Amino acid sequence: MRQFTRKLLTLGGLCLMGLYSIAQDYPTLQQQAQRLQSLANGNNAVSLSSLTKTEGGKDIWMLSIGTGDLDNKPAMAIVGGVEGSHLLGVEMAIRFAENLVNDRSDALEQTTFYIFPNMSPDAYEQYFANLKWERSGNAKATDDDRDGRNGEDPFDDLNGDGMITTMRVADVTGDWVMHPADARVMIKADKSKGEKGAYHYFTEGKDNDMDGAFNEDGPGGIHFNKSLTYQFPYFTPGAGEHPVSEVENRALLDLLYTKFNIYGIFTFGPGNNLSSPWKYNRAGASKRVVTSVLREDAGLNKLASDAYNKTVGLKDAPASGAQGGDFFQWAYFHFGRLSFGTPGWWAPMVEEAEGQEPNKDKNREVNFLRWAEQEGLSNYFVEWTEIEHPDFPGKKVEVGGIAPFRMMNPPVSMIDEVAEKHNEFILQLASLQSDVELVNLQTEEVSKGLTRITVDLYNPGTLPTHSQMGERSKWLRRVKVELKLGNGQEIVSGRKIELISSIQGDESRTLTWLVRGKGSLEISAGAAHAGNDQLTVNLK
Amino acid sequence: MKKYIKHVFAGFLLLGFSMPALAQSADEVFRAVGSPENPKVQISFNRYYTPEGLAAITKKIADAHPNLVKRVSIGKSYEGREMWMLQITNYQEGNADRKPGFYIDGNIHSNEIQGAEISIYTAWYLTEQYGHIDYITQMLDERVFYILPSLNPDARYNYMKEPNTGSSPRSGMIPLDDDRDGLVDEDQPDDLDGDGSITSMRRKNPNGDFIADPMDPRRMIQIGPDDKVDPSIQRYEMLGSEGIDNDGDGAVNEDRIGYYDPNRDWAWKWQPDYIQRGALRYPFSVPENRNVADFVLAHPNIAGGQSYHNSGGMILRGPGAEEDISTYNRADIRIYDAIGRKGEEIMPGYRYLTVYKDLYSVFGGELDWFYGSRGIYTFSNEIFTRFAYFKNNEGGRDLSYKVDTDLLFGDAFKAYETYDHPTYGEIEIGGFKKNFGRATPGFMLEEELHRNMAFTLYHAYHMPRLSIADVKEEDLGGGLRQITALIKNDRLMPTHASQDLKYKIERPDYIMIEGVEVQAGMIVDDEDRNVTTEQKVNPEKLEIANIPGNSIVKVRWIVKGRGTPKITVDSAKGGLVTK
Repeated sequence: MRQFTRKLLTLGGLCLMGLYSIAQDYPTLQQQAQRLQSLANGNNAVSLSSLTKTEGGKDIWMLSIGTGDLDNKPAMAIVGGVEGSHLLGVEMAIRFAENLVNDRSDALEQTTFYIFPNMSPDAYEQYFANLKWERSGNAKATDDDRDGRNGEDPFDDLNGDGMITTMRVADVTGDWVMHPADARVMIKADKSKGEKGAYHYFTEGKDNDMDGAFNEDGPGGIHFNKSLTYQFPYFTPGAGEHPVSEVENRALLDLLYTKFNIYGIFTFGPGNNLSSPWKYNRAGASKRVVTSVLREDAGLNKLASDAYNKTVGLKDAPASGAQGGDFFQWAYFHFGRLSFGTPGWWAPMVEEAEGQEPNKDKNREVNFLRWAEQEGLSNYFVEWTEIEHPDFPGKKVEVGGIAPFRMMNPPVSMIDEVAEKHNEFILQLASLQSDVELVNLQTEEVSKGLTRITVDLYNPGTLPTHSQMGERSKWLRRVKVELKLGNGQEIVSGRKIELISSIQGDESRTLTWLVRGKGSLEISAGAAHAGNDQLTVNLK
Repeated sequence: MKKYIKHVFAGFLLLGFSMPALAQSADEVFRAVGSPENPKVQISFNRYYTPEGLAAITKKIADAHPNLVKRVSIGKSYEGREMWMLQITNYQEGNADRKPGFYIDGNIHSNEIQGAEISIYTAWYLTEQYGHIDYITQMLDERVFYILPSLNPDARYNYMKEPNTGSSPRSGMIPLDDDRDGLVDEDQPDDLDGDGSITSMRRKNPNGDFIADPMDPRRMIQIGPDDKVDPSIQRYEMLGSEGIDNDGDGAVNEDRIGYYDPNRDWAWKWQPDYIQRGALRYPFSVPENRNVADFVLAHPNIAGGQSYHNSGGMILRGPGAEEDISTYNRADIRIYDAIGRKGEEIMPGYRYLTVYKDLYSVFGGELDWFYGSRGIYTFSNEIFTRFAYFKNNEGGRDLSYKVDTDLLFGDAFKAYETYDHPTYGEIEIGGFKKNFGRATPGFMLEEELHRNMAFTLYHAYHMPRLSIADVKEEDLGGGLRQITALIKNDRLMPTHASQDLKYKIERPDYIMIEGVEVQAGMIVDDEDRNVTTEQKVNPEKLEIANIPGNSIVKVRWIVKGRGTPKITVDSAKGGLVTK
């Protein structure tokens, strides 16, 4: 009895410690792995696997959450950590998994979820390093400025605060000025309005290789979210020598290409088509190389976006951080799946306090500083401090700026609310999926031993079985209807196997056959990503 | 007893035939000009070789010429075959991987087989002629060749040993779901008549729209809308390629081997299958291509590339896609043109063409990756042209039948024979065999191989060749000396293609000086007018963006001290030279 109590106490203590660490700060990779493992250990519906290890030796984790024949049930993939400095995305993906398993497992009857919480673990670690800076690249050594030398001009922590911020150099030849509403924020002088620059503005560091550029070739690495095939930015830092060059990109894609049941992908990252949907552009959609969401799919995106704004309620989203080579555009344009993305959080627009200049151009940095102040946060800004800079002898050089990670990642205490709303939204989205059914079966005796079978194949979902892009993709199966005949039966009219390109939400397709023979036969219909159904038919 | 002796004798004979053929005695042969007189390795160049055959031959070549050849596997194919590459250079001289490198492959499309034999022929020719022909000797002293006979060995095997047409499988062997029904490769063509080729099916049908040519029963003639056909003449309907509806879905042969196109898998401007039919999942998701890409990325010395396809007699350069026109600029096109036009002379019947406008507009091709992504001047040859049969462009539609009769004595065509088809009933099966049409007939093969090799050697010859042509010293007084070095590239190609310069694909060339105390270093832009560009940092290692083809670069140092300078030119694609 005593022993039992002690165990309980220890357990409780562990839980408390766990909660404590979660509440204080973003989890380390090790803490993430522990949470994923404990989720998988405690539940039959969850399995955890490591897809690969990155260049930096970190696991790429995948949670498969589902019941029954989970790989043949319509599925959504949830992906976090596509951008290494977006810690929140990782946390949101894990919280979705925890919430799903602990409180919403009813959703698994209909949908399977594959969750990839952290695609940039090498970069993520930088948050916990002695020198903190917003890193996107994995651990692969790269020559970012393509000059034949690797990593010869990294950041330098000039003010010794353990963070890389920015530096400004007072110089008439510079193009930068202070923001009129907040002198801590630097903006480009608007020369069209006769403004004149007064500062150079750089990231914090020295020109270590004396080539005239600052911090242009640091530890580098390949960015997961810049290394995919859609509008791959060739020869730019972080992109890699060719798309999908890295093991983590390959491992994820190789896995996704085996999961024919995935119809939708939800990405926590800089790309946002939920606050406002992708706009259809006729020219971009009709060229051979498609660069616009297709017309029908724009409608689906609008539907999802409306639901998102209603459920999540975040306003004044910053412009979408979509970029060439990113994951969430790849998921739609090259993988042919419905793809939705959001950063999950940004500092809400605040009114100026008394005595403050109005933030007329709605500068995000000015707004962030005001918001942080109103929330009573600390450590979000490094005050400008003058330093001696070897590259600018005799010039006034100051180091300071918004602390790394803060603008994209809210204090952990604020995550509960946004996570809950996003979880709710993802499940709403899943509830719209296609899940085809065979309904209105009719059998008529046309003549002795000759039966006419008629059945409707109905999509009760809101989403179509195939988006317009999905119809084009070789990597989504068609809806297959098959008549499985019994002994001595023969099809007189109709096809034994029929492949259907798409059925819209709440639409149906009527199928009919003439069959000769007796006994029973089976009709099966469906596709892994659009649901399956079967019926037994007794011939008249 | 007598019988027993006879068997033993036959046994010996068999044994003799299976042993490697040995060189003949010098007394027995006379040199045909341009060909090895009495080669160490005997290879028949009037037939084709399976991947296993290629593996055996490359081993023989490597074993016979250990100082000239390294045989390495660059990785495994999808089905687990080793991908054997021959790396050929004079290993006694210089560091092999620092010499300007030339990459050759064949057979990326599995049915386009000659490239492997060209590769083998080239390896054989280079090794057997080394020391006999100065052009070849110098080539192997100064350059290294990376020769990969087959980029698609699994499907090469399938093409040769399983039923196919002359155009299949083309794909590699990864099974895919072509008709999106959830099954892979479930309805392939079937070799119903068991002759190893997939030919055509025809059925007698009084309402058919074909008749057999009364003068030549091999030839089917389509009846035009206003043709009058005497009712006594047998009409036919054509039923497509030989096969049955294996999966009972009402379609015949709709999910064949593969299907993806390994030459839509390369990473330059890659597009997915719905845009570019044949693309697989992402660039280099074809494992054989990934092996090559990894190899090329690890060998920045590769300056020229050649891939061999068939057919049609074409020397192709990029861009593959119309959307990619701007990648190929004038400076580089001049170099392509010079080599391509020489090819037209060397290979009569071949035309020098641009893929996107003369063939088709296509993304993800190998030659575009080599050039666009690595800055390597690369051609694809479409081996063999109908011109070769009678050395003219005449013959039209009937040419194939004439060739079958007059040159091949009927070996190219399988006469129509009746067959009882499960769906169509009584049909006839016949047509040209898979080894006719695209693959060069045996009796012309050696010439084909030689001419393509000659073109490729010309291309390889024009990779950059650097030398330190002159070093001038001038005493400036006060213990200072001015040292001016003239670096020469006496071949067509620059050390950096203009695509390379535009995107800084390869590092700059370095011109370095040792043994003296460098005070300043500069590139001399115009010696007469004393225009120079100083390099303020690290002047002892000058960084030169490019050493152009058939041109010179001048550099200068101001140095202190009495030492004798040692100058080194270090170029990724141009090699390493010291003076």
